[in-house]
Amino acid sequence: MKRKNNKKFNKRPQNPLNKLSLFQKSDSRFSKKCPLTGKDAPVVDYKNIKLLRRYISDTDKIMPSRITSVSQNKQRKLTSEIKKAKILGLI
Amino acid sequence: MSFYEHTIIAKQDISTPDLEKIENKYKDIITKTEGEVIKIEKWGLLSFAKKIKAYKKGFYIHYKFKGESKTLDEINKNSIIDNSLLRHLTVKYKKLDTDTEYFKEKESYEKKK
Repeated sequence: MKRKNNKKFNKRPQNPLNKLSLFQKSDSRFSKKCPLTGKDAPVVDYKNIKLLRRYISDTDKIMPSRITSVSQNKQRKLTSEIKKAKILGLI
Repeated sequence: MSFYEHTIIAKQDISTPDLEKIENKYKDIITKTEGEVIKIEKWGLLSFAKKIKAYKKGFYIHYKFKGESKTLDEINKNSIIDNSLLRHLTVKYKKLDTDTEYFKEKESYEKKK
């Protein structure tokens, strides 16, 4: 006889806080997709100030990618594009 | 031949006929040195994020053109000497998109008010 829908063996998604010890590494890491890559991604350009404003701090510093989760390729482009906008006095 | 974008910032206290002279001056420079002007955008009077040489605002003129190294040299030479300009910037592009205008909405919004 085949058993159907055996609940005992169905794996449930584990809660990352449900660890045995404190030093055990959690399986599910916090990860987020890059907001500037993909099909409907906005164009990174020095004229697109609305977009660039999102990636600078209050004191006009460029935000690090570990906070904004921008990919490395796009981060390089962002920095050069922000610097161009700063030359023209737009930001 | 490759595509370029050139933006210049003129001082705030310049009169409108003089602004047109400046606009035509750089247009002539591009056409004289075997270049081709594709589009000219006037962004109008915008306020700076920071003061530039004790000025708070400036007139922005934006050129999109095709050209060679000769045109670039001539434009840079002239815009450095020019006393009526505050800043200038040229950017090289593989493809130019002439459809999207980032600064057009603001102007129309102000006019409605």
